[in-house]
Amino acid sequence: MSFLLSVARLGKFTFQNIFRNFWLSFITSTIFVLTLVTINAVLFMNVAAKAVLEAVEQKVEITFSFLPETSESIVTSAQGYLRGFSQVRDVQFIPSDEVLANFQDRHQADEVILSSLDELGENPFGHSLVVTTYSTEDFEFIREAMETPEFSQYIKEQDFTDYQLVIEKIKSLNTRTRYFGFGLAALFSLIAIMIIFNTIRVAIYVHRDEIAIMKLVGANDWFIRGPFVLEALLYSFLSTLVMVAIVFAVFGALQIQMTLFFGDAWQGTVDYFRDNAFIIFGLQFATLALLSLLTTAFAMRKYLKT
Amino acid sequence: MIRFSNVSKHYPPNTCALEHVNLHIKPGEFVSIVGQSGSGKTTLAKLLFAEERATKGKIVVGDWDISSIHTSDIPVLRRQIGIVFQDFKLLSRKTVFENVSFALEVAGEERKRIRDIVPQVLKIVGLSDKHHRYPRQLSGGEQQRVSIARALVHRPKILVADEPTGNLDTIHAHEIIQLLKKINEYGTTVVLVTHDRDIVNALKKRVVTIADGRIVSDIERGKYLIS
Ligand SMILES: Nc1ncnc2c1ncn2[C@@H]1O[C@H](COP(=O)(O)OP(=O)(O)O)[C@@H](O)[C@H]1O
Ligand SMILES: [Mg+2]
Repeated sequence: MSFLLSVARLGKFTFQNIFRNFWLSFITSTIFVLTLVTINAVLFMNVAAKAVLEAVEQKVEITFSFLPETSESIVTSAQGYLRGFSQVRDVQFIPSDEVLANFQDRHQADEVILSSLDELGENPFGHSLVVTTYSTEDFEFIREAMETPEFSQYIKEQDFTDYQLVIEKIKSLNTRTRYFGFGLAALFSLIAIMIIFNTIRVAIYVHRDEIAIMKLVGANDWFIRGPFVLEALLYSFLSTLVMVAIVFAVFGALQIQMTLFFGDAWQGTVDYFRDNAFIIFGLQFATLALLSLLTTAFAMRKYLKT
Repeated sequence: MIRFSNVSKHYPPNTCALEHVNLHIKPGEFVSIVGQSGSGKTTLAKLLFAEERATKGKIVVGDWDISSIHTSDIPVLRRQIGIVFQDFKLLSRKTVFENVSFALEVAGEERKRIRDIVPQVLKIVGLSDKHHRYPRQLSGGEQQRVSIARALVHRPKILVADEPTGNLDTIHAHEIIQLLKKINEYGTTVVLVTHDRDIVNALKKRVVTIADGRIVSDIERGKYLIS
């Protein structure tokens, strides 16, 4: 017997199953899609939050302003000292002229400050070091490291933009949404399993006469089970397709607003999804298919006595 | 062809449907299994096509000991035994032709073979001109003939019919019996389960009588003994 012929007949029986219980099939697929979309929303939030965090953390820096009379060699040796730490991403040396220029830049509109600077006649600023770390958690470490008497006597002030609060907020929001999302995804998965179980059970019930006759006339076992297995696979496959369409449609629709809100992090996240589409969606399809196959096998064991 | 050796069948919890049954049916025979309702006739038929398993004893079909047949081998056995029931078991959404071809489709038969075989068996049962009808458009006798046609598609060596005339009036019942005789004349072994006295007496073939799960008589060209 030709393989194609068998597949064609199995396909025929499968489609009969699906269309005879159209609404049940529809609800099954819908729940599958909802489950997948929820999972992807959680995944998306996670990736996006990471990207945002990274972007914020890169902006975080700590500035050490040295006393005006401090010599360049001391400052550069402090630079070397800091560069020696593995937590440090970069240490930028900013000569006093540039510090002054930056200051003037920032206060361009402020006549009083500019004129008092002029009156001074000389540069009141010393050199600066701008330190960026790989993680904001290393800030404290860097500050303590600079408290060594070797350098601390030359430091006029240290200054860092306090992103810590922002970062903590993003992190805790992300953790909370992740728990909520995982809970929701788990709930949907559970519902999906129950739904597919019921759908297969009903399909078996609706076809009980056919199945009885198939057994009577000596049908191959896989001919009896095949349509239900195929049905479960088909729901998984179709809902994966619909989910992929929804995900990319949402990406497209939100492109402008989200870029405004998230900046580069948005594009990075979209790219991440696009570049790893096969793995991300393939894995989801595989998991869903596996779950529904197991459930179908269980339903057949229970209701398809041979 | 068929040999039951000391076969017993118990249904849990405590029904003994068959007790120490010994029966030998030779190829080409036409055997009527008779007895009152509940005597164990259907159970005997079910053992034959492995719908039930013997609790004790040995059942051989052809050269095949099916006493402990593997589940996956049951389809193979079923294609060697045609089965006919009192209630026809036709699919109402399928035409006569489709009902018959269904049996071949699900066994993975080639389309060309299906197109050859189905008209042949429909001709044997005399329904060539009604192949496109649905079961509800047929009389009971015609429906039973469809189910016989379906039982014949695999060219079985054995045909088992459990009360095939139970739902039919006398005239249609007679037609069905004539059809079974014709099939038997083509060489198929026929096992007819019935409690219809007139049919058995008119047949003048071998009669095996069961009472309370035991064979109480086995007579060539027999008559229905127990009232
Ligand atoms: N599946 C079953 N479970 C339990 N008892 C059964 C089952 N099938 C039949 N029986 C019992 O076995 C006996 C024989 O039944 P059956 O073979 O159907 O007799 P018949 O066909 O001669 O009327 C009866 O007492 C019946 O109640
Ligand atoms: Mg019976």
